[in-house]
Order: sequence, then C-alpha cells, then structure tokens
Amino acid sequence: MKKIHIIGIIIVAVSIGVILSTLADAATYAEFAVVENNPGKEFQVVGTLAENSEITYDPKVNVELFTFNMVDNNGIEKKVFFHGAKPQDFERSEQVVVTGKLEDGEFHANKILMKCPSKYNNGNDTEFTEVKANS
Amino acid sequence: MDIEYIGENIISGQLGNLLIILSFVCSTLAAFSYFKAINSSPLDGDTWKKMGRTFFLIHVVSIIGIVVVLFYLLFNHHFEYYYVWRHSSSDLAMRYVFSCFWEGQEGSFLLWSLWHAVLGVILMKTAKQWEAGTLAVVSTVQLLLGSMLLGVYVFDVQIGSNPFILLREHPDMINLPFVQNPDYLSFVEGTGLNPLLQNYWMTIHPPILFLGFALTLIPFAFAFASLVEKKYTEWLKPALPWTFAGIAILGLGVLMGGAWAYEALSFGGFWAWDPVENSSLVPWLILVGAGHLMLINKVKPNSMLSTYLFALFSFLLIMYSSYLTKSGILGETSVHSFADGLPGQLIFILLVLVVAAVSLLVLRYKSLPKQQTEEDLWSREFWMFLGALVLLISSFQITFSTSIPVINAIFGTNMAPPTEANAHYNSWQLPLATLISLFIGIGHYLKYKKTDKKQFLKDTAFSAIISLLIAIVVATQLQFQHYYHGLLMFAATYAVVANADYWLRILKGKIKKSGAAIAHIGFGLLLIGALISAGNKEIISVNNSGIEIKMNENENANKENIMLIKGDTVLMGNHFISYEGREKEGHNIYYKINYYQLDDNGEYDTKFQLRPFVQLNEQMGNVPEPATKHFWNKDIFTHVTYADLDDPALEDPNAFEEPDTNLVRVGDTLFATNSIIVVRGIDKNIDLESNNLQPTDIAVGLNLEAMNVKGLTFEAKPILVIRQNRLFSISSEVENLGLKFNFKNINTETGEFTILKQEKTSNASDFIIMQAIVFPYINILWLGCIIMTIGSIIAVINRIRYPKLKS
Repeated sequence: MKKIHIIGIIIVAVSIGVILSTLADAATYAEFAVVENNPGKEFQVVGTLAENSEITYDPKVNVELFTFNMVDNNGIEKKVFFHGAKPQDFERSEQVVVTGKLEDGEFHANKILMKCPSKYNNGNDTEFTEVKANS
Repeated sequence: MDIEYIGENIISGQLGNLLIILSFVCSTLAAFSYFKAINSSPLDGDTWKKMGRTFFLIHVVSIIGIVVVLFYLLFNHHFEYYYVWRHSSSDLAMRYVFSCFWEGQEGSFLLWSLWHAVLGVILMKTAKQWEAGTLAVVSTVQLLLGSMLLGVYVFDVQIGSNPFILLREHPDMINLPFVQNPDYLSFVEGTGLNPLLQNYWMTIHPPILFLGFALTLIPFAFAFASLVEKKYTEWLKPALPWTFAGIAILGLGVLMGGAWAYEALSFGGFWAWDPVENSSLVPWLILVGAGHLMLINKVKPNSMLSTYLFALFSFLLIMYSSYLTKSGILGETSVHSFADGLPGQLIFILLVLVVAAVSLLVLRYKSLPKQQTEEDLWSREFWMFLGALVLLISSFQITFSTSIPVINAIFGTNMAPPTEANAHYNSWQLPLATLISLFIGIGHYLKYKKTDKKQFLKDTAFSAIISLLIAIVVATQLQFQHYYHGLLMFAATYAVVANADYWLRILKGKIKKSGAAIAHIGFGLLLIGALISAGNKEIISVNNSGIEIKMNENENANKENIMLIKGDTVLMGNHFISYEGREKEGHNIYYKINYYQLDDNGEYDTKFQLRPFVQLNEQMGNVPEPATKHFWNKDIFTHVTYADLDDPALEDPNAFEEPDTNLVRVGDTLFATNSIIVVRGIDKNIDLESNNLQPTDIAVGLNLEAMNVKGLTFEAKPILVIRQNRLFSISSEVENLGLKFNFKNINTETGEFTILKQEKTSNASDFIIMQAIVFPYINILWLGCIIMTIGSIIAVINRIRYPKLKS
C-alpha cells in the first residue's frame, strides 16, 4: 500500500469524525412545548419578548439573575430565568434566542442572543413619524 | 402627477448609474475579448488583447468613478439617495464617512470590485504571457460582482441592488406620505451609521480585508487560465508572489477583525468562532495550503491536483463567505446580522464559479502531470504536503460547523450551532494547530527529495530541547489547566525556536531568504499568544461577597459580573477598584473606574483609570464599549454589562433613605455603603451658643470618624440635648459621603449610645454591573501577527526581486 493511500484513509476517517462531532455538539432549536417534555436537556428557543412582560432585574439582590416572559414561535409564553446580568437595551429586542433547559418546571437560561431592530430590517415607522406630522 | 422636488441633486446619481452600466458592459466586453485572445492566432490574439485592455481600463475608470460619486454624495449628506440616508447622518463625524461607504452591501461590493480592478491593472502590466488568461477570469468575476450593483428587474426578478436609488423611489418608501412633499429634503435626516462601526478599526479593517479577499482571485485566475491553456506548471512561478501577498494581507485583515472585536465588542476576547470570522479565516487557511503546495510543485509537479484544488477553492470559499454573510442565511446564529440581500443572485454567482472551476478541472484531470515517484518519508515535500492536508481538515471542520444554517436549509433539519462554540472548535483546532506547528518546526531542516537523517536529528534536537524546557517552565509557572495546552505550547515554541535557529544559524541572519522563517516565527508567536491569553484568561470580577453566592446556587449562574456602587471599592485580582461616577460627553456616557494598589504604607495608590462607555443611539440601540488597560505582559479588560442610563442625580440628589438605628459603644464601628464609621468618644464641651441652645441645656456630642475607601477621613458630631427632661438631637451631616447621623440616647448603665444613620438614596442608586478580565501576554499574539505579516511581505519582495531564488 502506498503512503498516499494510508493518508487518504486517515483523511476520510478524520472527516467522518468532524461530521459526527458537529452533529453531536450541535444544539437543537425547539419550542417551549418540547422543552417541557424534556426536562434537563438543553435547547435553544427562538421567540420574542412577551408583550407587557414583567422584566425584573434587581442587581442589589442578585447581579446574576434576570427574568422576563418570552413567547416562542408557537405563541406559547413562558417565564425565563436568565442567570447573568441583564443585557443592555433588552426591552428593544425584536427577537431573542435563549439557550437553556427546564429545571423544576422553570426554564433556566445561560445565554441570550438578541436582535435589535437593526437598520437592515426596520419598518421605518419610528423614523417617519415626524414626516407624517409635516405633510 | 409630477412633483417638483426642491434641492435634489439628481445629476450625480444619473452619472453614477451611467458609470455602473458602463463598468458592467466593459467588464463583459473585456472578458469576451480576453477569452478570444487566448485561443486566437498570435496576430488576431494581439488585436483581441488590445481590445481587452481598452475595455478593462474603461471598466477600471468607471469603477473609480462610481466610488468617487458615492463618496461625494456621502460627504455632502445627499439624503435624497437611499444609500446615503441609510448609512450616514449629518451629525456623524467625518472620520467615519469611510465606514458609511462600506457598511452597506452595495458599498462593500464596490470596495471589493475596486481592489479587483486595481490588481487587474497590475496584472495587465506584469503577467506577460498570462495576461489574456488571467484578465479574462478577472473580468468575468468583475462582471458577476458588477451585476450585484445593477438594480434592474428582469421578469420581476431583481438583479443587483443599486447604490444610487433615490430615497423616494425605494420600494420601502414609495407609499410613505413624505414622497408627496416637494420640500421633503428640508426635514429628512439620515438614519446614521451603526454604532458598532463607529470605531477607528472599522476605517482600516474593511479595506485591508477586502484587499485580502481580492488577492485570492489572482491565484484562482492563474490556476483557471493554466487549465484553459493546458500549461499546467508554468503558472506556479508568476502566481507565487501573489499568493503570498494574499496570505500576508488576508491574514492581517482577519486579525484586524479580531483586534476590532477585542477593542470594541463585549464578548471578552479577540476570537469567538463567530460565523463571520470563520468564513474569512477558512479561505486564508486554504490559501496558505495553496502557497505551500505551489512551492513544492514548482520543484516537482507531484501533487498538481491538490495544488489546483487549493488555489481554486481559496477564492471560491471567499465567494461562499460572502454568500454566508450577505444573504441573511446565518439569521439568528450570528451577532453580525447583515442584509437579507439577494440570496438567489449570490447563490447563482457562487454556483457559476464553482461549476466552471470544477468542471474545467475534471475535464483536464487526465492530462495533468502525474506523480512520477512516491515521496520519500524524509523529504520536505512529503511533510509540506501533509501540512496542507492538516490545513484542509482544519478548514473542513470550521466550514462544516459554520454551515449548520446552510445544512438546515438544504436538508430541512433543525440544528442550532453548538452552545459552547469555543469548546467545540477548540477540541479540533488545538490538536491540528499542534500538528501544524511541529511541521513548521521541522520543515526547513528537511531537504527536497531526500534528507540525511543524522544531520536532521543533529540540527533539530537542540531547538526541540530548548522548546521543551521553555514549555515546561511556562506551563508550570502559569499553571496550565490541560495537558493539551502544554502540548500546543511546546509545538508552537518549537516552531518559533527552530525557525529562529534556522534563520540565525543556517541563513546567518541574512534577510534575503529569511521571509519564510520570519513568517513562521510570527505564526508560532501568534499561537503562543492566543493560547496563553485565551487559555489563561482570568475573570477577576468574580462575585466573592458571601451574600450573592447564596443567591447564585443555580449551576447556570455565570458569576462573572459584579455590582459596584459609586464610591464602593472592591478587591479584584491584585487591584482594588472603585466606581467614581459617570460623565456624559457627546453621545457617550463614560463610566469612570479607578484601579488602585496598596503602596508600602498601606495607602491606596491610584494606578490608572479606565473609562468604558455606552454609546447612546436612539435609532439602533445603545451600544456599550469596553475599555482596556494595556501592560507589556497583560491587558485588563473592563466592560460595563449593565447600567442605568438615566442620570441618578436627577432623581432627587438630596433625598435620604430611611434611617437605621444602632446601639454602639466607644470604639465600635458602623458600616455604610461607601465608608466605615468609628465611634471615637464623647465630647462634653459643646459650645451651647454656637449651636443655638439655651444656657440651661445639657449637650453631649458624639465624635464619629468616617473613613472612605481611599482612607480619607471625615468627622461628624451629632449632639444629644437634654432640656427639662426632654431629649432631642442636632443631626450632623457628612456631605462628602452623603451620610447623616442623629444621636438619640445614652444608656448610662450599659454605656451604650443610640445613633441613627441615614444615607443618601443616590449613594446606592448610581451603580454599574461590570466585568473585568485579565488577558495575560496578549501582546505576544499581536507581535506574532505583525512579524508574520512582515515575514510574508519579505518573502513576496524577494520572490519578485530575485525570481531565480530557490525556496
């Protein structure tokens, strides 16, 4: 067997390893319904901040606890306990992705990714209120 | 219904549009002419080549014209143009106007095209017999990129997005009432630049990065042209300097992105395996592989298929990267959210290029030079080839994991990116980096074809032992947490030492052939810096006050943040830090954080002040920006994670909280949020008159001494007055500390005093939540980056100056 063949086999084996490890490490997107049926398993939930959600953050009591209500893509609302400081400007977020799991019936998250109304996809409503008044 | 709009500058946009069409048409004609020139007879070929040149030069001039017009519109705040309105505002500092230019998709394609055009002209002047072939490819790519700027509709399909579309004609705006107002320009204001991009790095990072992107096109063009012309080995030599220039510039661009993230973003580090970072790192890795394969195949064309694949795919991966970042497919997986810009067209361009390159390679596969003899195990080419394969695996791993959203889109799966991105990527990339470093270390001591084993062992043993010692010392001194950190430390040190040894001992320190050795030293240092600064980074803002830890029993708790009330001092690492208050300057609120150390006398000695800030931005959200203190051997990174943006002083600066009652004796201490109060003793000699008391009153004062965190003391003396069997007290206030005391009673039997302590509400309400991280030896990373760039540039210059030089 030539060296190149041995190398080829190693490359193929490692590549399979790469694919498997990515599939194993990949998280899963889920809705709250699925999260509730799988306590202790980590999921990423995509949704929005619930309207009129109570947003509590009292750093004097606990710097690393921040709670809010979130509505997932199926419209199910659930309280999220985020163990970290409240992200600046959280109220403005259009979409949030939280990573966490169900523990004792509560959803505990350790990661939040939020999308603010960026200039790329805003609806221009706020920007043109002035214009309406003028014309 | 024609409205006469006031104040619009229509002519500039029309000129811009004319130039866009001209540049598109000319790149098409240049591509056609140059392709014709390849296969024509010498006489016809010359005519076609001349035509190609003319068209390409007109194309270059038009691209420059488009850039000038767009800058002109941005500089003069012509908000009648959508792009200007979208990406700038009149209150924006002029130094950011460049960032406005390339913030949008149109501007970034334009910048990219501009670099292609400039490189194309250099190629035209230097490529000689390769001119027709390479410029045919460059022109074709230019016409594809140019189509991204057209902004025309063909059967309801939008092709390209035009930077000169008028605000009132943009599809999002067309139904808005302002369109009916002829004088709309008098009140329309631009939406401004994304606050994250208002940073000096964003002025220099994108042009360098895009120059790096553009440079990958040149090896692609040479490889493609050589396949068309069936001249399989002659292209390696002229393409080499371009490839190494690309390695230098693209590498610099990627690392500058890391520097920007480190300085301006708040994730705490220079690298986060973010999809956008990954997708520009991968083409660099492949380009490095291509450069090294080209070197060995220039000597002996034994692995031409691999060389072609690497040379072609570096550029194709740049195209894939621009699809990933600009199509919106990354969606919720990346913080860098870019436009949902024409994904269909981007896929189309990507597919055209991939299909063309791959099918041409398949077509020519049979006639490629075949391997003559098997490589010797003791040859340089064997190990360089293996090195390229390691880079390939590294690239494959990064690309595969980054492409999860694409995999979801194709297979309908529902995967999310790994939660622990760093752990996921590092588990692969650390061992691969270790392997590569070892290869870099031995590379120069291996000869082409066959190496004398004894000589090899003699040459390399010395640097191996030195490196092992260094690695052991570093790993024990810095207390490495994982054995594989130690392995990488050894391998990277070996890469540095072996190359330094080679340069100084074998090359005798001469510059002429030293490019490769110096670049490899830089790469080794870069890895060492990355390993130590990231592997040994220490979050010093750990919450270590007992109360909070109890609340934090949840295992998910991050425990990385700490609350600082104004005036508070907390021990973090080997510094005491205190929050001194906030200051508003322009759009920014600065939070002043002092770092102290105790001097020999036990006094607080201010070492430095950091001012992380929050940039207020109504339109796009407020953006916090960290501040970092740089020392030669470490950085202290300080970031305000959360702060009330309203000025607490406005609430009511003089309001006091509810008092708390304390029973104390002489010598006892009391605690306030910002100070320690010691009860010094009783003062019986109170001057009645000056306190407006009656001569019959009995008055006793209580001497209190309040010491703030910096050791400054303030005195207070509340007075207890006895007037005809009634007790009342005269309060005493320490204004500097926002404290008030009342002396309420004396218990003569126990000797205890009752005092009330009151604090100003503002004492506790001006607070920040912050994070502080120490990055040890991060300067080694930046040093390595600079040395690597310098080394690559030396290599490029020497290849151009001494074309006969053996590598």
